[in-house]
Formats: sequence, structure tokens, C-alpha cells
Amino acid sequence: MIEVRDLVKRYDDLVAVNGIDLDVSAGEVYSILGPNGAGKTTSVEIMEGLRKKTSGEVRILGHDIEKGQREIRKRIGVLPQSFNAFDYLTVKENIEYFGGLFDKRIATEELIGAVQLQDKRDAWFTNLSGGLKQRVGVAIAMVNDPDLIFLDEPTTGLDPKARREVWEIIRKLKSQNKTVILTTHYMEEAEVLSDHVAIMNEGRFIALGTPRQIIDKHGSGSTCVVKGANAAAADAVRSAGMMYEASNGDLLVRMENKGSLPKLIGLLSASEVTYDEVLIKGSTLEDVFLKLTGKKLAEAEQ
Amino acid sequence: MRPKHVMVDLKGQARSFFRIKSNLFWVFAFPLLLIIIFGAIFSNMGSEAVTLNVQNLDEGTGSQQLLTALNGTGMVKLKFISPATNLDQHIKDNSLAHVMVIPANYSSNLASNVTAPVELRLDETVSTSGTVFNAVNGVVNAINLQMAGGEQHIVIEMGSIVQKRFSFLDFFVPGIIGLTIMTTCVFNVQGTISRFRTNGIFRKLATTPMTPFEWLLSRILWHLFISFLTMAVIMGFGMLIFGMNMSVNLPVVLMIVAGSAMFSALGMIVARFVKNEETASMAANAITFPMMFLSGTFFQLEMMPSYLQQVAAVLPLTYMSQGLRDAMVYDNQAGAYFNLAVVAVIGVIFVIVAVLITKWEEE
Repeated sequence: MIEVRDLVKRYDDLVAVNGIDLDVSAGEVYSILGPNGAGKTTSVEIMEGLRKKTSGEVRILGHDIEKGQREIRKRIGVLPQSFNAFDYLTVKENIEYFGGLFDKRIATEELIGAVQLQDKRDAWFTNLSGGLKQRVGVAIAMVNDPDLIFLDEPTTGLDPKARREVWEIIRKLKSQNKTVILTTHYMEEAEVLSDHVAIMNEGRFIALGTPRQIIDKHGSGSTCVVKGANAAAADAVRSAGMMYEASNGDLLVRMENKGSLPKLIGLLSASEVTYDEVLIKGSTLEDVFLKLTGKKLAEAEQ
Repeated sequence: MRPKHVMVDLKGQARSFFRIKSNLFWVFAFPLLLIIIFGAIFSNMGSEAVTLNVQNLDEGTGSQQLLTALNGTGMVKLKFISPATNLDQHIKDNSLAHVMVIPANYSSNLASNVTAPVELRLDETVSTSGTVFNAVNGVVNAINLQMAGGEQHIVIEMGSIVQKRFSFLDFFVPGIIGLTIMTTCVFNVQGTISRFRTNGIFRKLATTPMTPFEWLLSRILWHLFISFLTMAVIMGFGMLIFGMNMSVNLPVVLMIVAGSAMFSALGMIVARFVKNEETASMAANAITFPMMFLSGTFFQLEMMPSYLQQVAAVLPLTYMSQGLRDAMVYDNQAGAYFNLAVVAVIGVIFVIVAVLITKWEEE
């Protein structure tokens, strides 16, 4: 579906995309994850044909991005970043407008149903909330029954409920065997929705693979959190030689191998040890980002 | 070029255009307001007789003959002041501008062939004083000639420059049509492009099979329709309310087509060079505002100083307004086609430039 080799995009002195490679197969949800300014949008806008590359090779659906533009446009669907449709057309009229630009198209009512906007069919776009506007955007991106759909930060600025509604729609696209390229700066979103993830920072991919693979490779394993642990608990863990960190009265104990958990439980059962509760936390993409860049995602956006 | 894409965008514009209230104002209310205001000011200009206040101290037939003749000119309306009134005080109290006093011995002087003076007091700061003087002077001359038993050897035959009888409104309305088409096309097209660039609609359109050329063509066609609508509204209103005379003929139709395309393209060019939404609107104002006043919309170009006339000569609206006036009012085919040719050439250049420079993709 997508093959990218050594893609570079330069603006005068600034290198926005610094030599990325990407392979996306049919039917998968592929997320490009990273802070604002990492180069995600520039990369996908080159793949969508909205920006010209400085160098490298980009093939979309078997066509060269520059020579095959006409053919590519017929078969892709795009939800651009900060999407807007025509303010004074209704939801239905907006979908009809974009549908009219393609030869192959899905019936408007079917799309309205797919994004559950039946009640808002005749509302002007300008009067919709942010979440509903994004749903219109997804419907419009699907209007030509595309093989490949780009969703550029579809949930940025949405409240948690609206964000989950967009997730549901993305899951539905996946179940219809559509290929979806998703950019996001929400780690959780990438982790929950994607088959493959590329973590991007400062114009480069710093980790690629399935969320599981990335976490296994770059994550620091599971951590057992002992909440409200007393000093005796910390002493016991330290003298047993286990790796741990103390944080706000909690002990964060690294689970280095299969034996770590039974060993910790043994230590915690000693009579002088007290604690409130114990829970096990796996590594997340957020942890991976922190480990690879030395920054939290939110800090990287500063 | 796919006509289907142009039709899709035209349909979208047709659906949304009049949902935007400011569009209703600029297309309908703005020109009508101008016509109502200027129509009310100028509709009676020149046709109403000037009031001449007369204090007749004479009781003979001579003064009656003079007053009857003055009445017959239709240029003045006589209003009598009682012979007993203190004239100076009366003029002051009523701010009179034109007063004629016929002395007590007027008729007897005439009868005895003694020069009979008639006193005319005029306020020279009032523009109608000339009219009063001409009326009285004309009548007095005629009476003198008649009494001398003379014969008229030279007579003036009155004719008008224009074939039909025209009012200021007839001059004004073609200018208002040109002006409204300019403001509607420039501001709408510039505003739409700036807005679509800012809110990302262009980025979305760039990922569809529609081309910028198809989009621009659709915008030009739509504004052409709006221009004809504007013209119909203005003419209909002017004819119904103010009884204007004007005709729609081939050069008028062609001028609307060329002018509308020219100003739509101008809006595209402004939007391309000035990317910030607010600055672009200021730039559009900076271009249209001087044209509003310097292109002969509100008054004849001949009334302006010569350096301003030279400025007017490079403004496209000058040619559009003058061409519309030639075709609609003066029935001057040669003038209409000359102005049309100027507008068409500028229009073609503007459209080509607009098509070449309008891009959806950002760099």
C-alpha cells in the first residue's frame, strides 16, 4: 500500500523529515506517533500529495507519488489536520459535495449511518461540535470507498467521549479491511488502535513495529507498584537485591524475570511489612518514548 | 477539465451563498441603500420651480402682465408678500433668498414711457439665484422688445444632449451596478479563498480529483450569476420606485460578463499575494475604495481635477461604469464597445494570472 524510502523534507535550514522508511500493508492500521513538530504531518502530507518531498522515494498504491497523483487521488481518502468542511452546507450536503467529485462513491445515507450522524443530517456544519465535525470529516474521507485512508490527528482537541467515538469508527474501518494511516500524539490511542506503530521524534523514526514489539524491545518490562509501603517494605526489597524506585510513598519494583513476582509477594508477607495495595503495571509506549528520548511526550512538545 | 466538478461546486455555492447574511447585505441591501439615499437627494433636482417672493406695490395692469409672463415660464413659483409688510424684516424673519419688488408707479411709468425699474434682491450664495435672474431677465427683455415693436430675429431652440429625458439617477444607476459587482466579486472571492486557505478546505480539496482551475471557473461562473442578479435587482428597483429609463442590450450583457470575471479574478490575485486573512481584506479595501470614488460612480469624471482624471483612466471600474452608462443610458454603441474591449482585455489578463498563481498545496 505504501512504500517510503529515505524520505527527506527540508525547509531552508530546517529538516522536518530526516530520512524515514515506511512499509504499510493492506488492511492494517498504522500509526505515526510523536509530539507536535516531530514531522508526522509533514510526512503524511507528502504521502497525500499535499507537499512536495525534497528527496527520497514514495510509492502509494503502487504509483509514484508525483507521477501517479491523478490515480492516487481517486483511491485515497484524507482527513486533513484541523479539518473543516463548508460551514453553511449541511452534513448531508457536504458529503454530497465531496462525493460528487469522485466517480466511485458510497451512498450519502450509508456514510451518515456509518458515522452515526442521522440526527444531524440537516444541521449546518458550522453549528456542529468538534467531535461531530471530525465524524463528518471521516465520512467525507470514506466517500469514494478508498483503499487507503489517512487520518491526520483525528482526535486532537476532542473531549474523551468524542475521542472514543472516533476510535470506534476507526475500528469499524479496520473491520472493513481498510488500510488506515493514523497520526496522533496520544500514546494510548496508538497503542489501542494500531497494528503497527512508528514513533517519530525530530524528523526521524526512533522505533518501529507492533506496539508489543516496541514495548518488548525498548520497554523496561513490568513494574509492581506497592502503594503506601512502609520503611520495612523498602528495607526488605533492598536487602533481597531487587531493583526498585521509591515515589510518593509507593515502591516501584522492576519485574526482571518470572521469579520476581513470587519473590516480592514473599517479602511483602513478612509481619513487619505494611502496605495499602499492590498492582502490576506493564510498560507503555509512553515509557518507551521517555526511554528513547529522555523526555516525556508532553515535554517534547514544549 | 471535468464539467461535473464545476457543477458540483456551483451547486454547493448555490446552496450556501444566501445562508450567509452578509452576502444578502452586499448583493441586495447595499446597492438599494445607495439608490434610496441618492435617489431621494437627487430625484427632484432641476425639475422643481424656484420660489420667487413678490411684493407688488403697483395696482395697474402692467405689473399683472409681468407676473403672468413670469408664471408662464414655469421656472419660478410666485409667492406674494402683502404690500403693507416691512420687507427687510420679512426677509430676515423668513430667510428669503429671492425677492422681487414691483414699485407703486410701475404701470403708470410704463404707460408714460418712463423707465420702470423692478427691484430684484437675490442671495448669491444660493445656487438657484441664477435661475431666478434668468427667468426675470428673460421676461423683462421680451416685454421691452414687444413694447419697442421689435421682432425676434434670433430664437433659441432647446434640445438635450441625450435623446430621452434623463435624471441624475439614470446617470447614477449604471455606476452603482458596476460598483456593486466590483465589491461583491472582489470581496467574496478574496474572502472565500483566504478563509478556505486558513480553515483547511483547500487542503481537503487538494486531495480530491477536482483541480484548482475547475474550482476557479466555478467561482467565476457563480459570481457572474450574482452580478446579473444584482443588476436585475438594482434596475427593477430603480424603475419601480424612481421611474428610471434604461435599456439592457448586448453590450450591457457582455460588460457584466467581462466585468464580473475581471473583478472575481482580481479577488483571486489579492488573496494569493496577501495570505493573512485580515490583511487580505484590508488589501481588497485598499484596491476597491479609491475605485469607488474615482471611477465616476457618484459624479462625472469631468468634475474632477485633471490629475485625478488621469488616475481614473487606469482604474478598471472607470471603464465598466462608463461602458454600462454608454450602453444603458446614452445609447452610445461605439463608446460602449470601446469600454467593453478595455474591460475584456484587463479581464482576460487578470483571469490568466489568477489561474496561474492559485495553488491549493502549501509550500
